[in-house]
Amino acid sequence: MRRVTRFFSHWQNWLGTALVLTFAVVALAAPVLSQPNKTTQGAFKKVGRSTDLTPHPPSKDAILGTLPGQLDVYHALIWGAREAMVFGVSVALGAFIFGSFFGAVSGYAGGMVNDIMMRITDAFLTFPVLAGVVFLQQLVAITIESMGGIYWFNVDYRGQFIDFQFTPPAFAVFLMKVDPILISLILFSWMPIARIVNTMVITLKNTEFIQATRALGANPFWIIRRHLLPNAVGPAIVLAARDVGSSVILQATITFIGLGGASPWGILLSLGRNWVIGPGGDLLATWWVFLPATLAIVLFGLGWNLVGDGLTEALEPSAATYERSTWLRRKKKK
Amino acid sequence: MSPFLQFVIRRIFSTFLSLVIITMVLYAGMMLTPPEARARLYLPPGKGGERASENFVNVLIKKYHLDQPYLVQYSYWARSLVTGSWGYSPTLRADVLPELIRRTPATLELAFYSLLLLIPLGLASGLLAGWHPGRFFDGSFRFAAFFGTSMPPFIFSMILISFFYLKLNWFPPGRMDVMTGLDMSRTGFVNFTGFLTLDSLLNRRFDIYLTALRHLAMPVITLSMYHWATLGRITRATIINQRGKEYIIAARARGVSERKLVWRHALRAIFAPTLTTMVFSAANIVTSIFVVEIIFGLTGVSDVIVIAMQSTPDAPATLGFAVYSVIMVLSLMFILDVIQAALDPRVREEVMKT
Repeated sequence: MRRVTRFFSHWQNWLGTALVLTFAVVALAAPVLSQPNKTTQGAFKKVGRSTDLTPHPPSKDAILGTLPGQLDVYHALIWGAREAMVFGVSVALGAFIFGSFFGAVSGYAGGMVNDIMMRITDAFLTFPVLAGVVFLQQLVAITIESMGGIYWFNVDYRGQFIDFQFTPPAFAVFLMKVDPILISLILFSWMPIARIVNTMVITLKNTEFIQATRALGANPFWIIRRHLLPNAVGPAIVLAARDVGSSVILQATITFIGLGGASPWGILLSLGRNWVIGPGGDLLATWWVFLPATLAIVLFGLGWNLVGDGLTEALEPSAATYERSTWLRRKKKK
Repeated sequence: MSPFLQFVIRRIFSTFLSLVIITMVLYAGMMLTPPEARARLYLPPGKGGERASENFVNVLIKKYHLDQPYLVQYSYWARSLVTGSWGYSPTLRADVLPELIRRTPATLELAFYSLLLLIPLGLASGLLAGWHPGRFFDGSFRFAAFFGTSMPPFIFSMILISFFYLKLNWFPPGRMDVMTGLDMSRTGFVNFTGFLTLDSLLNRRFDIYLTALRHLAMPVITLSMYHWATLGRITRATIINQRGKEYIIAARARGVSERKLVWRHALRAIFAPTLTTMVFSAANIVTSIFVVEIIFGLTGVSDVIVIAMQSTPDAPATLGFAVYSVIMVLSLMFILDVIQAALDPRVREEVMKT
């Protein structure tokens, strides 16, 4: 309980929680906030003729204006929040589950096994995410083509597109369903979690209560799942919370530079980019193609980062920052 | 042997080990595809892609033992990596390794100028902010660093382009503009190294040096902004911890001037912990270098994947790019580690103990 009060004693944590909750509410209430119509594709809704390539300022039909091709900005923003939330949380959850399990098993096994597994973790840390994202997409593409299908990497910044002239085999159907960006982001963000859980498990392993459980003849996996993990995941949760924000930003970045992925917010920016940074572009004159998506991405990352920072402090009182102590000292002086 | 040399040798060995592990992981990824697809890694020019006959593919499978167990295949592939035949890329229409090397100077140039800007700035501003926490400079530093870390580089770059290029026309994107490029080829500009800033100095063309710097300005600012903020924040946190340590108090008692205290004693103490965090985020730094390159159209190493992701699948190019970028990350880590060990004896001792 004291941890909760400490968490809410900082305005930054209030701001972070409020931002995250706002995005969560928007994500849940997306169908109410902006109704899809029959032209809706994913997060995009047409509100005019698609041959009209001028973005129009906010009007009654489109509250936040339109993009080239008359796609509704407001609709993409709302439904993009839904997709971002799902994407970010699944990356963080995947990394959290895999990382903590990997770290716990290697820490529990100890010795040689631990050395090898931590070497692998370190090797993954040297891998740039961008290369991984591209590599995984190419792997999927090669597999699809060798099964006789056709693969497009990036159709209008909408991500991968797979087509078969015949009924696709089961594995191809599976590949069509998974998002390679999601998988690769999980593959390249579990390492810090594994390392921190590993350290925690190694210190916990020799404590008396674990020794007692082992003496009672408990199964190692039961010990890991029941006793070690619950005590070791605290710091890992913090990392996972930050992963939610950073993975959504990374997905938007990858979409924006055209290397795959279908983050609606990234697509918003990449479709409107010529009106912002193209010849004759103006950031202020056509603010609605740039500002809403930017704010959404920045605030989403900010909210999760603030929550992560706040959780670190709440979980580790020793790491309480300097600001608070000076603040208290100043109060006493008065 | 001096401990420093011993440290360097150990680091070279562990770097090599990391490289072996990561290439093994990469090839394990390739193992998910059928052998016919893996044969594309070895397809010579002219017979690439669809046009390779089934017979020829079978010859390749036999020659490189692509139907054998994983480790056998890996050793054949690793041998071809070491000998420098990284395969022929159908989308680049050239061999992969020369294409990667040709594009490296642009990337290194960007990395060099960014690190040159961000490491001193990050250390100095974090140090000054953390030395007197709560003062005005500390407040403004924390605000700026907060802004820097929460602003995604690709959005920041859009703002920079729309302001500095479209409005003011100070800093153009791209590596070199067409007019200067024409002028260069007309006046017999010699490409000694491929580094535009270095070559222009060697050719005694200071106007071209300035133009190259103007082209580098926006990418360098974008890249430095984010990593400066992270480095500065870590420096600040470290120095707040160090401020009250005995050695600082003792030095102050000896009558060491405040300025010397900050720039000699404190600075040396924070080098190792702050650079360690940079070593761990080396992969992130390289990723953001690639992102910034793509956005600003500096045709660096990442140009290879931009081309490879446009049409047909291109295994040699992407696999080659992956290996090459891992080598870049490992060398960055190695350089940072060596700098750290050269400046801080504690790091060397730590390595010797393990």
